Amino acid sequence: MSTAATKTSASSTSSRAASTAFRTFATVFAITTPILYVICEMANWPLFTYHPGTNRIDFGWAPAVRDEGPAMHWYGWTANTLIGAALLGVAATALPDRVTSKIPLALVWIVPLAAIPLLIYALRFFWRW
Amino acid sequence: MDALLDYVSVNTFWTILLIVHGLLAVALLGALTHQAVSVLMPVRQVAGMPSFVTRFRAVHGAGYASAVCFLWIATFIFGAWIYSKYRITIRIPIEQEGFWKTQGAFEMKEHLASIGLGLLPIYWYFWRNARNADYDGPRKWLTACLAAMGWYMFLVGHVVNNVRGFGS
Repeated sequence: MSTAATKTSASSTSSRAASTAFRTFATVFAITTPILYVICEMANWPLFTYHPGTNRIDFGWAPAVRDEGPAMHWYGWTANTLIGAALLGVAATALPDRVTSKIPLALVWIVPLAAIPLLIYALRFFWRW
Repeated sequence: MDALLDYVSVNTFWTILLIVHGLLAVALLGALTHQAVSVLMPVRQVAGMPSFVTRFRAVHGAGYASAVCFLWIATFIFGAWIYSKYRITIRIPIEQEGFWKTQGAFEMKEHLASIGLGLLPIYWYFWRNARNADYDGPRKWLTACLAAMGWYMFLVGHVVNNVRGFGS
């Protein structure tokens, strides 16, 4: 095999490998994001709490402070979710292809849909008549 | 930001952010809707002059993927920025007026926006490999999911703005 052909073959293989790794990362990221988000929301596990009235940020969950306005946890839930999903996605790329190729791709849209009823239930406080 | 507030009032500043957020959302919704319709009702063959609906369906979906990712993230960033102002000046009066379902629908919008972020990498990957038939099914339904989420978020944002938004 010529040098050029060897380089092309190596480049193609490398590109395909990178693509497979990205697919694994993105698949696991998409599947775990709704799961982690529902857990963070229902268990109220924000990475940080933002107090918009005073622009203060507390690490983890913190209650609203009297006379200082509300506390916001959504930013912290989102941060926790994205960091957790990214870590799981990166970890999944270390698994062999024969394992990751068995992950059903349909889960990337089924899991987010399944999360919706849970989130509606989590918001039951607001469904008052 | 303080320098900008020397030239515009605080209300004008937040109004500008809200309008930019809304315009980005309109662009995102247009791109996602075109793309979703193109995969859910693809055009097979056109005889004669194509109708408006046919032309609407006949777009090349892959060409929208990067724009959709960019617009989702940009809309999210502006929305997250406005949310801090919303929490104090909009949500509290909405609760005082007892519009609980409106508030709940808005909370759901925030949830969907965050979950949608997590779906973007694989959505982009599926469309980048649009010729791979293995991805046809998940690409189709993931795009439809994102479009449905986009429509929900857009409509709820519009309703909340009507309840207490621009100019209130």
